Amino acid sequence: MIAKTTKIHDTKNLVGALPSVKFLNAKYLYIATANARCPKADVFIKEGDHVDTFQVIGMRHGPFFEQPIHATCSGTFVGYEKHYHRNGKLTDFIKIENDFKDTFDKSIILRTPEEIAKLTKEEMTEIIKDCANVGLGGSSFPTYIKFQTDKPIDTVLINGIECEPYITADHRLMLEYPYRIMDGIKYVMQAFNAKRALICIKSKYKDIKAVYTQVLKEYPNSGIELCCVGNYYPQGWEVEMIKKATGIQLNPGELPSNRGIINFNVSTIVGIYKAIKYNMPVIKRMITITGDGINYPKNFRVRVGTPIKDLIPLCGGYKNPDKEKVFILGGPMMGASVPSDDCIITKTVTSIIVFDKVNEPEQPCVRCGSCVMSCPVHLEPVQIMNAVKCADKERIKKLNPLRCIECGLCSYSCTSKIPVTDYVRKAKVFAKL
Amino acid sequence: MTIVKENSPHIRRKATVTRMMVDVLIALAPTLIFSFVIYPIKTLIFYVISLAIMNAAEFVYVGLRNMMPKDDQKHTFKEKFEHSYKGKYGINNFLTASITAVIFTLIMPAGAPIYAVIIGALVGIVFGKLLFGGLGSNIFNPAAVGMVFAKLCFGNQYKVVEPPSWWFTLVSGPDITTGATPLTLVNGGALSDIGRYDLLSMFFGQMPGTLGEVYKITILIGLIYLLVRRSIDYRIVVSYLGTAFILAFVAGLSVFGLNNEVNPFHFTMYQMLSGGLLFGATFMMTDPVTSPINSPSRWIYGIVAGILTMFIRFFAALPEGVGFSILLANMVAVVLDHYEWSNPRYTWKKFVAMGSLIVVAGLATWLLISFGGFYHA
Ligand code: SF4
Ligand code: SF4
Repeated sequence: MIAKTTKIHDTKNLVGALPSVKFLNAKYLYIATANARCPKADVFIKEGDHVDTFQVIGMRHGPFFEQPIHATCSGTFVGYEKHYHRNGKLTDFIKIENDFKDTFDKSIILRTPEEIAKLTKEEMTEIIKDCANVGLGGSSFPTYIKFQTDKPIDTVLINGIECEPYITADHRLMLEYPYRIMDGIKYVMQAFNAKRALICIKSKYKDIKAVYTQVLKEYPNSGIELCCVGNYYPQGWEVEMIKKATGIQLNPGELPSNRGIINFNVSTIVGIYKAIKYNMPVIKRMITITGDGINYPKNFRVRVGTPIKDLIPLCGGYKNPDKEKVFILGGPMMGASVPSDDCIITKTVTSIIVFDKVNEPEQPCVRCGSCVMSCPVHLEPVQIMNAVKCADKERIKKLNPLRCIECGLCSYSCTSKIPVTDYVRKAKVFAKL
Repeated sequence: MTIVKENSPHIRRKATVTRMMVDVLIALAPTLIFSFVIYPIKTLIFYVISLAIMNAAEFVYVGLRNMMPKDDQKHTFKEKFEHSYKGKYGINNFLTASITAVIFTLIMPAGAPIYAVIIGALVGIVFGKLLFGGLGSNIFNPAAVGMVFAKLCFGNQYKVVEPPSWWFTLVSGPDITTGATPLTLVNGGALSDIGRYDLLSMFFGQMPGTLGEVYKITILIGLIYLLVRRSIDYRIVVSYLGTAFILAFVAGLSVFGLNNEVNPFHFTMYQMLSGGLLFGATFMMTDPVTSPINSPSRWIYGIVAGILTMFIRFFAALPEGVGFSILLANMVAVVLDHYEWSNPRYTWKKFVAMGSLIVVAGLATWLLISFGGFYHA
């Protein structure tokens, strides 16, 4: 089909209606010592030490920031173990044996509404930095850096679009914890002194809309509104979301704060709520386990650090275990595939998708142009691919591959089943030389 | 259970090239059947010849291209054969050669001698496609290459073949006994003869011509099918036919004026329904391989091809411009795709370019015709 691809074959309605299963007490929990943004870490505890939930047990060092590591349960530190991280690398994890008491660290407090109302932006930034809040939609960008902008902000956008197919983690979060989200938005608006907040959701989600029309009545004159945007992919990309919600078209590479806009994912907002209200770092999150390689797809609310192997049996195990499987952390369009199911849920894992491996033979490109029409940043993936095949650096640079957001639409829409996105990734390497 | 790694994205949409090609074959089917009913023997012979030649050429080509490199060991023929073809020759190779064969059959005039068909088919597939590297790499439409080559070499040996007389009387058509196709009438003969073919019988193809191009009704069915299935890009069809329509109307206006027994609208429809315009727009212009890659370029491509077609019809010594103009437009497509300026965004510049192309072509048509440039003896 020679046409722009916008709708992606989806199975969301399979799991979107299921309430999340609370699985909060794995026997062992594993905390990563390194992640994609922070390659090194210091650990402050010794083997055999007792830790409390939320206790700071180490510090990750990134190139321009530091990130405290928090224990996500109470128990005993029993040593290090290697498991797969979301980024596909074998990483050292701190192994904590859960004592199921869930005793809190003494840093956890309850701030009264009056105290919160007095907090300034700088104080909030400090709290969020100490709680190691990051973008939970998958970017893992430190939230406090976003808070440090000195540009005037008048609109806060809440990204509840979750445009990747198959995932329903944010969907369930929005349905199940609307008050946390609303309070979180209020805190953020207070920090930036913003007049307006828009909760962006896909217009096809009538259930979320019903919940928030009710909830918003309890927040009169707060400036918070529900904003139904398009159902297509990649609507959740910030540029597309800002354009649809506010009508502002960002220039390539421009930061939203330039135009007075700041945007957060809904789960990040819940993280901010917990941090400001209780000083709590993120230790729980929603995930979806789905895909055609899983017997009973489900949503879960789990502690960060839960091994995925504990969750698979709760979904009825793998379907057709004799077939080759692809194991994806994140969405099917942008998520990373890991070489083993021995991985750990970190803060930014939104979903686990298990597919049966399909090997579709690659055909020659027929220049149908579907990839060009589908590309949200108006590149020409097929031309980039041809340039990469000839290793023509001039041409690659001229075709601007660095603007690519790796949304995967070019591979998805290719009628010849060519992995075009891979070529664009190669072109990015070329263009940086 | 084994877990394998792969790069994102992990899902693909269902549409495939195979589906697109099967769609084109389905869309061609009514026309082929129609032509078979009218000229049973001719169609069968032409079709079998071109199908055989083109598929054989594709098969040999795949074999040569993947030939086993010479080494010291002895290999049985079976091994060599498997090395050449296993996983390399698939359904798509067969489909693409067959599409070319069907199109080539349908654009050959019924009066072409058999050796012209053989040579045309061979030249079309080899020089039009395989030498460039097979499916996806060719610049020119192979069927058009074959047709134009055969026409240039053997055109003087083409005979005019009348469709059987029952066909003419079927839809109460006019009683025609002339041997001229409608376009030779416009181009070589007297313009007043234009009234001899009424539009309805042209629509049903009650006139001499090539094997398949004349049955507008079946071509339209194919066009609608392809558009609904989105297997071709509507932009090319619309811009090509639209440009042709505008230019034909301008020409009609300047030849006949408004108060003549042949009104310009009649002339326009006459141009639209004659020759291979509709067939070319549906099956040849839209071949994705030989059209530009992005949407604005496709509009421009259709406009350029439309202008070329009408100019060849009006001002050149050829009755039929579709084949030639498609080949010329194919070259323009390559230029439009150059990385320095190809850009999938619509910009003001491009709209201005498209508009001025049409306006300039319209003006040129009007001026040339007013000063007697219209090619008729
Ligand atoms: S992966 Fe990159 S090149 Fe491909 S469609 Fe997405 S943005 Fe465009
Ligand atoms: S790479 Fe795929 S989608 Fe892009 S033009 Fe070629 S066949 Fe079409």
